[in-house]
Order: sequence, then structure tokens, then C-alpha cells
Amino acid sequence: MAPRSQMKRKASTAAAEAEAATFSDDEFGDGVLEGVLSDDSEDEENSDDEAEDVDGQDDEDLDSDEVPSDPDVDEKDDDENDGPRYRVEKDANGGERYVYDEIDPVYDSDDSDAQDPENTIGNIPLKFYDQYPHIGYNIDGKKIMRPASGKALDALLDTIEIPKGWTGLTDPATGKPLNLSREELELLRKVQMQEIPEEEYDPYPEYVPWFTHEEETMPISAAPEPKRRFLPSKHEQQRIMKIVRAIREGRIQPYKPPEEREQDEDEEEEMYDLWANEEAQPPHVMHIPAPKVAPPGFDLSYNPPPEYLPSKDEKKEWEETDPEEREKPYLPQGYDALRKVPAYDTFVKETFERCLDLYLAPRVRRTRLNIDPNSLLPKLPRADELRPFPTVGAVEYNHGTRVRSVAVDPTGQWVASGGDDGAVKFWELRSGKQMASIRISADEPVNVVRWRPGSAILTAAAGQDVYFIISPLLDQEVQQANRAALDTGFGYATNGKQATLTSNGARKDPPGTWARPGARLEDQGVLLKITVRADVKVINWHRRGDFFCTVSPTGKHSAVAIHTLSKHLTQIPFRKLPGLAQTAQFHPSRPLLFVALQRTIRVYDLQKQELVKAIQPGARWISSFDIHAASGDHLIVGSYDRRLLWHDLELSARPFKTMRFHPNAIRQVKYSRSFPLFADASDDGTIQLFHGRVHNDLMTDPTLVPLKQLKGHKVINNLGVMDIDWHPTNPWLVSAGADGMCRLWA
Amino acid sequence: MGRIKKKGQSGAAKNYITRNQAVRKLQISLPDFRRLCIWRGIFPREPNNRKKANKSSTASTTFYYAKDIQYLLHEPLLQKFRDQKALEKKISKALGRGDVTDAARLERNAARPEKTGRPPYTLDHLVRERYPTFVDALRDLDDALSMLFLFANLPSTPAVPAKMIARCERLCLEFQHYLIVSQSLRKSFLSIKGIYYQATIQGVDILWLVPYKFNQRVVGDIDFRIMGTFVQFYMTLLKFINFKLYSSIGLVYPPKFDQNRDESAAELGAFTLEGNAAKALADASAQPMITEGESEKSTDPKTQAAVNKLIKQMKDTGVDGQQDVATTSTDAEDAAIDKFEPAAPGGDVLPQPVHSSGDPGQLFANCTFFLSRETPRQPLEFILKAFGCKRVGWDAVLGDGAYTTNPEDPAITHQIVDRPIVQAAQDSGDNQTAQKLGPNQRMPGRIYVQPQWVWDSVNDEELKRPDLYAPGAQLPPHLSPFVQSTHGGYDPTIPLEDQEPEEEALQDSDEELESDEDEEEEDEDEKADGDLALKAIKGAAADGMDVAGSDDDDEDEEGGEGDTTFGGFSEGEDAEADDAEAEEEDPELQYQRELIAEMTGQPVAQKPALNSKAKAKADARKKLLAQAKEEAEDIERAKGMLSKKKRKLHDQMMYTNNKKSAEDQKLREKRRKLEKQKARQAPA
Repeated sequence: MAPRSQMKRKASTAAAEAEAATFSDDEFGDGVLEGVLSDDSEDEENSDDEAEDVDGQDDEDLDSDEVPSDPDVDEKDDDENDGPRYRVEKDANGGERYVYDEIDPVYDSDDSDAQDPENTIGNIPLKFYDQYPHIGYNIDGKKIMRPASGKALDALLDTIEIPKGWTGLTDPATGKPLNLSREELELLRKVQMQEIPEEEYDPYPEYVPWFTHEEETMPISAAPEPKRRFLPSKHEQQRIMKIVRAIREGRIQPYKPPEEREQDEDEEEEMYDLWANEEAQPPHVMHIPAPKVAPPGFDLSYNPPPEYLPSKDEKKEWEETDPEEREKPYLPQGYDALRKVPAYDTFVKETFERCLDLYLAPRVRRTRLNIDPNSLLPKLPRADELRPFPTVGAVEYNHGTRVRSVAVDPTGQWVASGGDDGAVKFWELRSGKQMASIRISADEPVNVVRWRPGSAILTAAAGQDVYFIISPLLDQEVQQANRAALDTGFGYATNGKQATLTSNGARKDPPGTWARPGARLEDQGVLLKITVRADVKVINWHRRGDFFCTVSPTGKHSAVAIHTLSKHLTQIPFRKLPGLAQTAQFHPSRPLLFVALQRTIRVYDLQKQELVKAIQPGARWISSFDIHAASGDHLIVGSYDRRLLWHDLELSARPFKTMRFHPNAIRQVKYSRSFPLFADASDDGTIQLFHGRVHNDLMTDPTLVPLKQLKGHKVINNLGVMDIDWHPTNPWLVSAGADGMCRLWA
Repeated sequence: MGRIKKKGQSGAAKNYITRNQAVRKLQISLPDFRRLCIWRGIFPREPNNRKKANKSSTASTTFYYAKDIQYLLHEPLLQKFRDQKALEKKISKALGRGDVTDAARLERNAARPEKTGRPPYTLDHLVRERYPTFVDALRDLDDALSMLFLFANLPSTPAVPAKMIARCERLCLEFQHYLIVSQSLRKSFLSIKGIYYQATIQGVDILWLVPYKFNQRVVGDIDFRIMGTFVQFYMTLLKFINFKLYSSIGLVYPPKFDQNRDESAAELGAFTLEGNAAKALADASAQPMITEGESEKSTDPKTQAAVNKLIKQMKDTGVDGQQDVATTSTDAEDAAIDKFEPAAPGGDVLPQPVHSSGDPGQLFANCTFFLSRETPRQPLEFILKAFGCKRVGWDAVLGDGAYTTNPEDPAITHQIVDRPIVQAAQDSGDNQTAQKLGPNQRMPGRIYVQPQWVWDSVNDEELKRPDLYAPGAQLPPHLSPFVQSTHGGYDPTIPLEDQEPEEEALQDSDEELESDEDEEEEDEDEKADGDLALKAIKGAAADGMDVAGSDDDDEDEEGGEGDTTFGGFSEGEDAEADDAEAEEEDPELQYQRELIAEMTGQPVAQKPALNSKAKAKADARKKLLAQAKEEAEDIERAKGMLSKKKRKLHDQMMYTNNKKSAEDQKLREKRRKLEKQKARQAPA
């Protein structure tokens, strides 16, 4: 019996179900729902009772339990105290397991304090127990098992018959569904609707009109009238006396007699000398007097000189223009007699507009420059004083196709030109007679022709090849000497086939191959050919005639090449260039090489093999440059963005003067070797001549004077003058045009 | 280190204030603000940097100088405006209450300028503040006079009541009286707009415009309230100026005004000028009263006229005497300027005022004028009197106040007429106006002139030749005396040859030549039988003679004389082929000439003469062209060396200069054409 009840108790301890009160007998008998038992003491008792009821036939002893008696309990306790308090059972593994008896708080069984099975987990969120079957521990350290929940059927049942006070919420403290009473729900609703939560409170009570307009027959208050109501106010007396005194003294006039307007009108206003004691004040700095109306001119006369009268066309034009845009608001008119002059229509309007101007128009003080515009112009030396310089086109050389390059030979007798047809033509300078024509390339245009300094050797570049042509115009002896100069290099081992090995041992292309051009050309005097890696656009000779540099802008790192004629050697000085090389030139006296990239010109020292300086002309795309031969410190730069820049290398890396006189790109710039002149060739078909004198004195700036625009070349396909070259001794200029003509300007 | 400057605390942001801000600051309505601005002469400004002044806002606003508005805060008128507003409110309240007597009492205090023509406040202090000295006021008188003279001729409007207009008229007439007495009118000009007058008072030139006496057409949206505001101020200004001017010449201001005479359109004659009492005492002999244009009682016109004449003469002497007194004091100090002659060469010569021989103020002193009834009486009366004429009579229909209304008065020396000559004169016996003369009938011993004669005489300070201005004659052009000829500008008074630049002259001759050639061609058609070669030679012969003859000016006549065979092409016979053509033609001509010479057996004689002339001209032109080209090139070169800013400035200046010179050139061209036309018509 006792063990049984104990067992039951034990089972009951494991349960934590609030609905235990509604258990039926059957359910109880069923072992499945054992865990649902409440450990509520009352419930426990009830269940005990029931259990006893159920098991009534089996155990009569239990009847005695119905009326528990203390001695029994004590006895029992005593019994229990005597024996071990646990039982040994077999667990699932067959091992021993001590099962302690339930502590039976007999005395406290009806204690109200202990009625709630406290979950002792404290302030820990309930979700920590989500993985466990229990949701905490009770005061005895027993697990409070998770109540059965969420059975689909139960849920369905729940939804069908919603229990009273069902909210769908779970009480976080107990984990049970949270039920609220009707009052509580009402309270919540009120809070939610922002109503006054307190019941019985009426925010709009019925107004009780205590004080109404209706006169009561009886006074509300029966208090007697105070005495002060029957005494004159002292304060008021004081104020009145104050006013009375003021009136007596005449400070206040109680009645102002109305002004007699009618009389006033007839009265003459008083007259006085407003400027009786005038004193001149200097006008305020900010005061701007209104401009006066311009006095009338001859054309306003009623009988003006006839030339002022408008012709029919002028009249029509005046009438057709908008009144706002007319230069004059009136049309001159002539009348032969004064009696014929009509009223001026817009007189009132003009007066009104003058009024508006006077008070509405903002006034500004403008200083009008009353100077001769020519005084702004700088005093330039007269062009006559700067003579000689080329002024007119003297000789024309008709090349036929677009001429890309032109060069005057060092003796000044011949002119060589190279054009799109791949031919190099030789002309006599003075007569314009074509002396020879050598077609060096069938498909490639001749990009550049340049004479070797001090000799009769012409270098011409077509495509990737640079040809050396001995001028056919000279006598045999000179030709022979030149031939020898060209052939000396053939003895050298470097001869065109230097073995260049790259780092990984692969054989690299030689930077330049020196060879004979072939029998046909050799007969015509073309004795030598260099083939480089890319199309050559620029050739410039060193002054001694042994070195020359070529620039092929598309050639990447091998864009700039330096060739030695005496050794037939081609070198590529730069491993890498920081931009597209445009042109390159040797310094006229020092071992410097100037390389023009797209935006900068870099000066390299060839001996020390280092960068000396970088010049920033500020142009966006440099087309060409030239170095002043005499000083070597001055540089002109032409650019495709229409600028011509003069640099003083000693002064700064920025230009000394920027000249923008061309509407189109500048292709070529050249200093004259023998005169203080320089010229530029532009795509607009003009050549501009400048006087540029460089002084020996370092302190004086160079004198730059624009001299002349030489016009003559036609513009074809947006190309005008392609190249220019100065005569070595005379102030003559040879230009090559896109129109197929070369011209000598003298 | 200085204190960090806060944005918007100094500079333009603080110096300028927008209009709305100003109105809010002054707490007045916009119309009141406008009135204050007009009266105080406050005008909007254009700050150098709008963005800074507007505190970085880009809204377009009007800016005022903040100090101006600050001064306005202390304006006594502000209080007046407020009082006025309060009174209006009281009246409307009284009316709202139905308290009519109270409203009426208050109404009596209110100013009703539209009825009385007088605002409830005076603007005296404003005049004084705006013009601290009298000369300052005179300097600003131009607009005031133009405006007042206009309003004196305008119908009344609510903004400008009739009384105000009457006052304007009175003030203007008083001012004119001063000008007459002080003889300070200098110039006048008849324009299509109206009549310009220029007076010099205390060394200040005042120019104003008076409309012709017509009903003024009021077109478009013209706000008369604004104009009325201006007029109010100008009236106050002119009143004080008149007072000062009158008292400066010893006259009483205001002069006596005769309402009756004014109603009978006496205008200037309605005033009676009085000498100052103190002045009168000092000069007892002089007549204290000067009556201008005293009306005749017309009992017996002839005797009355004679009496009048006597009286007038007496008065004239009286006036003269008084003026002498006024001027002798200055004369006594020997006011005449000494002429400074450079003693030694090399010094600069300073310009000195020219001492005119005759006093321009006495130009018409010895004349007696009579104005025909078609002439504008008011301006003529004023200008004649201002230039010393004492005796101006006019037809009775022109109003009261004439010296004589009798056109047959023998004292009249000049009669101003502005009527065409009527061919058929048949109304000899007009019953209504027996004393009136027939339309073309002339009184002997009298000079008849058109009104322009008066103005031209006044502007040139001499009596012009009357025959040029005779009735019905083609008047010479009336020129503005206010234009100052500038160097290189067109001047219609100078002959064309003296002012045209060289290239134009050359071009001119070219044109002449072309036109001549055209004519020649026409002639050719007419005389088809004329041998071309012969003609060429004849032409050449004529040219040769011309050259031998003389200068270009008389070319027409000489051409006519020299060329006997070809009467048809009379003018411009110095016609040479123009440059290119000449060159083209020359060999041909030469060849022809030689052929003819061969045929006739004469030597080739004329050729060199012709060629020299043609060549000289061609050379001159070439030279000119070359020079112009060179100059242009030089300028172009120099411009290349200018900075962009300066180049633009230069271009701008050149643009304006060219525009001006283009206008002048156009005028010259027109005149050339007209002169040619005239010359062509003259022989025909």
C-alpha cells in the first residue's frame, strides 16, 4: 500500500500539468498519462482519494488513510527513518539504481505558500530548454517536464472550442497558455485604444451651469456688500487729478478744434529762402547722380538736314523692328513749316519712362575708357626694320602628289622633296626645274627627306626603310667621295647583323639592318638602306654628319633609334619611353638628345646616359620642335592643338610665350640657321613668320615679333602645309604643301 | 591672428538690402516706400557682386544701399504716413459705427490731395536735404522743368488733380518770367518732340523740353500716381528755386497773379512783377512797378497805341535802369576779362571765354513783333521776350496780354507768319475783319518771317537773313545747337569736301565716274552713229581740257563748256576710267588713238595729259590701298602680341568706333547723293 502510494507520488512529482483537475478515472488508470499528474498538494490529495477510491476493494487499509492521523504518520515516518530511504531498482541497463522516496511534506501539505510548483530556473530565458524534455527544476530539484503541447488533435480541439479567457499566448513564467479574464481583456483593450483605463470614469460629465445668465431671485451669497464698494477709489482719484493738473497747465488739450481746411487752401504757403544758410557738403561716396537726358541731335529737328531723313528702306526697317529693339525710339521727320508739326505721340510715355528710370533703375558707376584703342597695342618694331624675311612666293615646284617633306641641301642650290607617290625629287632651287626623280618605294609614301650636313647625301624614309641617296646633280668626284663615306661602314663587324641575344637566349631582331637596296636603286644613286622595326617618320642628323636619329612613333620601345653611319651601327638608346615619341633632335653644340613625347620634351645626356630635364610646354600633343642653333637654350614647339610655344631652357620648364595665331594644327616649326627668324607651318594652309632675336645678354628676354602670314598653299583634306625648311644662307623658306606643290618664299 | 570673419556680417552682404527687407524694416506699405524713395531720391543699386550681396541666393531682387534705408528710418514723413493711416482707420470706423458727425469731424482733418491738390505734409525739408546748396538744386532742374511743363499742359486725373496742374502752370510761368527778366535763356531748338530750351543760371546749364500745345495722347499703361509723386516734389523744388531766383534779382515772390487775366489766356501777362521794397527805396527814380504786357482798354485803338508806346518806352527805360543798377555794380569792378597774350613763345595757351560783341540777351531789343494767329504764341512770346524784345503783339484770338492786337500798327517791325502763300487773293473786302489784311497782303516796312527765323537767330546770336525765312520759302535746315562737333564726326554745317576722309573722296569720284559712264552709255544709245573711237578721243579731249582748266569743284560747268560736241553728258567730264578699267582700256585706247592720229595726221597729243591725271588718281588710290593694307597688317601683328583680355577690349573699342564712323559715313553718302541730285537738277 505505502509503496504504491509512494509510487504514485513519485509519478506525481514528475508531472506538472495544470489541467490535472479534470482527469477522469479512466485516464488516471491508464499508465500513459501518468506524467500528467499534478503535484499540487490539493490535487495530490484528490488523486490520492480517487486512487484510493479506485483501489478501494484491494486495500482496506487505505480507508484508514482517508482520515490521516498524526500518529500514523509519525509512525510511518519513523518507519521510514529506520530503513534506508531508497529503493534499489534495476534500470534499463540492468544496473542498480537508487530510487529515493518522495519526501512527503505531510505537515505542509495544505500550506498555501507551497502551493505553486515554482520553476526555479530564475531569470533564464525559457528557450534555453528548448532541446530538453523539461523546462526547469522545482524547489526539490526535480525536473519540471515540458507539458504536452502541440498535438495536432489538441490544437484542432483548441481551435474549435476556445476556452474562456483564451488568448493564444503563452505565459513565459510557466509555459502554460495564458488565459485572461474578461475584465483583464477589457482593460487591455482600453489601454490599446488609448482610453482611460479606469472604469467608472466619465470624461464628459454633464455640465452643471452654476453661473448662468438667468438671474436668480435670491442672491447666491448672503454676504453683505463690502464697504469699499461704496467708497471712491483713491487710485482713480490720483489719476484723475493728474489729468486735471495737466489740463490746467495746458499740457493736454481736452478739445482740439478741427482745422479749417477751406481757409487753409486759400492761404498762401509761407515762403522762405530754403538755402539761406547753405553749406556745401561733399557728395556722399556712394551717391550716384542720375544721368541727364541726352540733348537732342540734328535728327530730332522738325526740319533736319535732308541726309538725316530716313530712306524708304530705313523707315520700313524701323517700323518692322520691335519697339524694344529700336536703336532710337523715334524716326527723324522733316516738316517744311512749323505749323505742320504734329503732337509727339509718346511724349507722356517717355516722361513716364524717365520717371521710372529715375526711381527704379539701379545705378552703377561705370568708368568709360576714353582712350585711343591703338594705345593698347604694344609698340612693335616696324616690319621694315626687321627685314630681310620672306614675303612672297618666288618659285613653285610641282611635285604632283601630296608632298610630305622638303629639304634644302647644305649648299643651298637644290631642293629635295618626298611625297605620297614614293618618289624623291630633286629641284633646282632658283629655277624650279626638276633635276631628278627617284622612286624609292612603290607603295609607301616618302615620309621624310633630310640632307646629311656638309655633304650631298640625302636620307629619305619610306615605310620602315631609310635610304641614302647620293645627289645625282653633282659631278663625279664629289659623288665618289660621298660614295666612300657611305661604304666605310661595311668593313665593320657590326655590319647590320649584330647578334643580339635576349635574356632567355632567343635571337632578337636587330634594331636596324644595313644593306644595299638593290641594283635598280643603286644605279640611281641609292646606295644604302637601313630597315628598322617600324615606320620612320622623322630623321634628324647630328651636326657632324656621322650620327642621325630616326623616330618611328609606332615602334614602342624602339621608337627612337640612333644610327652611326661610319660604323653602320643602329642603337636603341631607350629601353622604355614614358609615352609616344613624336620627334627627336640632337642639341646643336652639346651631346644632348631631345626627345619629344606626346606632352613633354625630355632632354637626355648621351655621355652620362641620364635624363637632364623634362620640358613641359603645356601642349596636348606636340607635333614638332626646333632648337635655336646659335644659343642652344631656346626652343620652339609646335603642337597639334594650334599652339606655338617659345621656351627658354635656362628660365623655366614652362613656355616663355604661347602664340595662338593658327586656327588649325601646327605641323612643323623651324628656326632659320642664319637669320633671327622662325616659321611654323599649319594645316590651315598658312605659314607664319616670326622675328625671334635671342640676345647674348642673359637678362634681356628674346624679342618676338610676328612678321607675316604666307598664304598660298591650298588646304586639301584638312591638310595645308606639311613641312618647311629654311635656306642655309639666304632668308628664304621652302614649304611643302598637301596640294602637291612646294614653294620657295623669298 | 585676427578674429575669424563670419559670412554675411560685413561687406556687400551688409551694405545692400533688398527691397522687401527695406519695406519690412520701415514697416510701411510698398506705395509709401515708393513715394519716400522718389522724394528722398533713393534709387536701387547694382552691387558689384550680386551673389555676395544676396547672401548666395540667386533670386533676382532689387538692392538698395542699406545706409539709405537707415536714413529713411528717421524720416519725419514716416510719422505723417502713419498718422494719415490711423486717421483713415478712424474715419472708416466712425462710418462703420454710423457716427456721421464724428466721421465728418475727422474728415475735416484728413488731407484729400486729389481734391485740394495739396498733400498733408510739406516736402521742404526733403528739398533741403537732397540739395544742400542752391547750385545742386539747379543741377537737377532738368527733369523737374520738363515734367512740370508737361503737366501744365495735361488734363487732370485723380492722381494729379486740377489744382495741382494749375499750380504747375503758375510755377512754370513764374520761372519763365525770371528767365525773361534775367535774360538767362541761351538756346532753343524746335524738335519733333517739342521745344527744347537751354538756360544758364549761375553757371549751370539747364535743358528742358516743352511739348507743343496739343492734347497729349496718353498711351499704354502709365501710372499717374508715380508721376504725381514726382510732380509733388518738383513743385516744391521749383517753388523754392523761384523764390530764391526772384529774390536774387530783387523781385517779390510770389508775383501778383491776376485771375481774370489768366482766365482770358494772358498766360505770362497774368503776372505782375514787383520790385523789392528795399530795392525800390534804394532806387527811387526807377519805377517800382513793372507791369508786363499791360492790357489796353481799347477806347481808341490808335491813340491808345500811341500812349502805350510812350508808356512802354518809359517802362523800358525803367527796366533798363533797374537792370543797369543791377549790372553796374559788377561793371564798376570792371568785370571784363583781360586777354592774356603769351609774352614769349613756347608756353601753353589756355582757353579763355570769348567776349561776344553784342549782348545776346538784347538780340530783339529794337524789334517790335507781331504774331499771326497761326503761329504758336506761347513759345514765341517767351523766347522773344527772353531775348530782349519788349513789344510783342499778336492777334486777339491768341489771348490776352498782347502789346498790340492791331496788325496794322506802324510800330511793328517784324511779323511772324506761318501760312502758305495763297495764289488767288480775292477777299479784299472782308466784312468781318476790316482791319485784317488779306492773305498775301503785306504791310510795307515790315519784315515777314517764318517762326524758325526766331530760333535760328537766337541760336546763332545774330539776326538771320530774313529772305531765307520768308513765308512760303524753302527753309534752311533747323540745326540743333546742342550738338558739339567731334573730330571725324559728321557735321552738316561743313561742306562735304572738308570732312570726308581721303578714301571716301576717291570712292566718291569713282562713283561719279561710274554714273557718268552710265550716262555715257545712254548717250551712246542715243547717238548710235557716233564713232566709238572718235568718241573716246573726244572724251579724252574733254578730259584734257578739264585738267588744263582747273579744279574738280567746278567740274560740271567746265565739262559743259569744254565739251561742245556732246551736250548730252554734261557732268563729271573729268571722268576717267576707274583703276582696273583704266588699265584694261588703256592699250586699246592707245591703239585707237594712234590709228586716228595716223588717219588725220595729227600727233598723239592729249594722251599724256589724260594719263597723268588718271595715273595720279590711280596712284593715289593704290597708295592709299597699300597704306591701309599695311596699317591693317601692322595692327594685326601688334594685336597678336596682346593678351586675350586686352585684345577683346581693343576689339570692343574698335567695334564702337567703327559703328560710329559707319553712321557718319552713311550720312556723308546720303548727302553726297542729295548734292548730286541737286546739281543735276540745277542746270535743267
